Amino acid sequence: MEKSLYEMYENEIKTLEQEIQELTKQYEDNQQKEQLAEEEIEEAIKCHRGKTDFESRTSESLADMRHELEQLESEFSFLTKLSGIVFTRYSKQTVDKDENKCTERHKITGNCYLLPFQIECTLLKVQNKESISSVVTDLSIIIESSEYSDLSKFVSRAVETKNLLLFFRSLSSFAEWCNRRKHTFLHFKERYPEIVRLPEGSSADYMVLRNPKLSGCELIVVWKIQINEEGIVTPVLDLLTKIPEQALRLDKKKVIEKTPLCFQNLLDAFGIECAIDNVLKAFCLEEGGSAIDK
Amino acid sequence: MMAGSSCVLCLIPRVLGHLEKLEAYSHKLTLKQEEIKKKQEKLAKMTAMIQRLKDKRDRLKTKMALQGGMPVKQLLQKEASSRTSLSLGKTQEAILEMKLKNVKAMLQAYYLTGISAKRINQGMCVCISTAYEGNYLDSYYLDLFVQKPIQIRQHSVPPFIPLEQIAKQYLQLDIKCFLSVLSNHLNAYAGRKYQADWFQDSSDTLLSGTLHRNSLCNLLSFAYNVEWENRTVCFKVKLVYGDIARSLPTEAIISCEETISPSLENLISSHSALFRQKALHNVFGFFQAERESLSQMGTSLTSHVSLL
Repeated sequence: MEKSLYEMYENEIKTLEQEIQELTKQYEDNQQKEQLAEEEIEEAIKCHRGKTDFESRTSESLADMRHELEQLESEFSFLTKLSGIVFTRYSKQTVDKDENKCTERHKITGNCYLLPFQIECTLLKVQNKESISSVVTDLSIIIESSEYSDLSKFVSRAVETKNLLLFFRSLSSFAEWCNRRKHTFLHFKERYPEIVRLPEGSSADYMVLRNPKLSGCELIVVWKIQINEEGIVTPVLDLLTKIPEQALRLDKKKVIEKTPLCFQNLLDAFGIECAIDNVLKAFCLEEGGSAIDK
Repeated sequence: MMAGSSCVLCLIPRVLGHLEKLEAYSHKLTLKQEEIKKKQEKLAKMTAMIQRLKDKRDRLKTKMALQGGMPVKQLLQKEASSRTSLSLGKTQEAILEMKLKNVKAMLQAYYLTGISAKRINQGMCVCISTAYEGNYLDSYYLDLFVQKPIQIRQHSVPPFIPLEQIAKQYLQLDIKCFLSVLSNHLNAYAGRKYQADWFQDSSDTLLSGTLHRNSLCNLLSFAYNVEWENRTVCFKVKLVYGDIARSLPTEAIISCEETISPSLENLISSHSALFRQKALHNVFGFFQAERESLSQMGTSLTSHVSLL
């Protein structure tokens, strides 16, 4: 009975999460389409008004334009896959221009693995003898980072130093790690539904392992993704143990004390996914904790 | 009497047995109660989670309902009929133009992210741009042949960047990862070079003598003057960038020709720490600000530095 209740709840959570994900995507798509549509028409008509006297394009040249657009769009989707960063809306405005200097306002809306961002920046471009140098003179970044304290600290530092490029690079690697963590957690949850629990969902930073035969004993895999001041992203994994006192007293070889260290060794030797897999198998699939101390 | 006591005596084991049973039972009960409590707590947590998710979903739904708006086609017709003398065909043409302009602009703007690319026959041309703080600096190009095994056909990456080594490690496994590592190296180099250039440009005011550097800019040496106990002391610095994927040094060795006293040693170690933590221009900006505040306060530098 109880078990089925749990299952019911867990299923409900899963469905809700899926639903939210789908809705978010749909919402973003709509937002983009609609705003583009309205804005496009406004702008397009404005542009066109001046040249209404021009002759209409031939149907061939229109077809060419369509073809070009298709190609550029596929180019764009290729680029977003390569960089992990998707621009959904972009506008550029030249605010000020003289002989060899010009100031541009850029507005970019986009996302990186479903982590949405909004950026406004001012670029000062100076034409030198050989090249054009661009300097970010003003930068504001809006990103939903309340869940990730490291990220929000990093973002404010990026804004302070106006380092837009570093922001993009670190965001992309941060989001990629979050994505990998999520997939890994879900993979284990799917493979070992009896053992793995994700009490706060798949996007949280921990996963709980429980041996069905050892009630009260749990291992918690904590996987944090840190960004330092220089924008370097590092995954930090820890294995915590939750063992009842009675069991601790039986632990003469101090296996439990050593577990976190052993986990670090496993991580170094096998990599993340494989290390988790090893721990899971040792703790939950074979006899008791005997295999942990290897 | 005898009979009675023996009767009581023979009752004792039974009573004890019963008590034991009771105790075991009560123990079991507490265990069970605890278990139930735990389960209830867990269920309560799950219920709360479900509620949170439901709220989130409902908020999203409301947002989407508000989004509503008109389908594009209707919008088009509306525009075409009411506002202008443009026909529907004309409006569509105008929109096509606009879309083209938009995609082109977006593709161009990708250089801001540090990595942009173009497909060329059987491969792609990747452009890695670099920046230090707000300054966009040099861009580098790689011409990749994408059929496995992926090959680098041409590139403009400087020879002192360990491109081959990075390619060996990542290129076949994960091209995104390869580009990201290479971009780190190029950006770190750009950052070190930027700092060294900045320093050289401001040489008269800060430097004493010339600045020496190697091509990868992971070894800088220079000298600068410090006011110390009402004298000018020359510090010779060697900055070693042990991690070439970073733009901050891992070692800052400072030497000076004065006889080293404890207070001078303090000064040296605080300067050395600053070089390891901050960009060059920030370090000297810090010295400058310090000098100014000191001259205002009229105290000696040493007493202040010893506070650091």
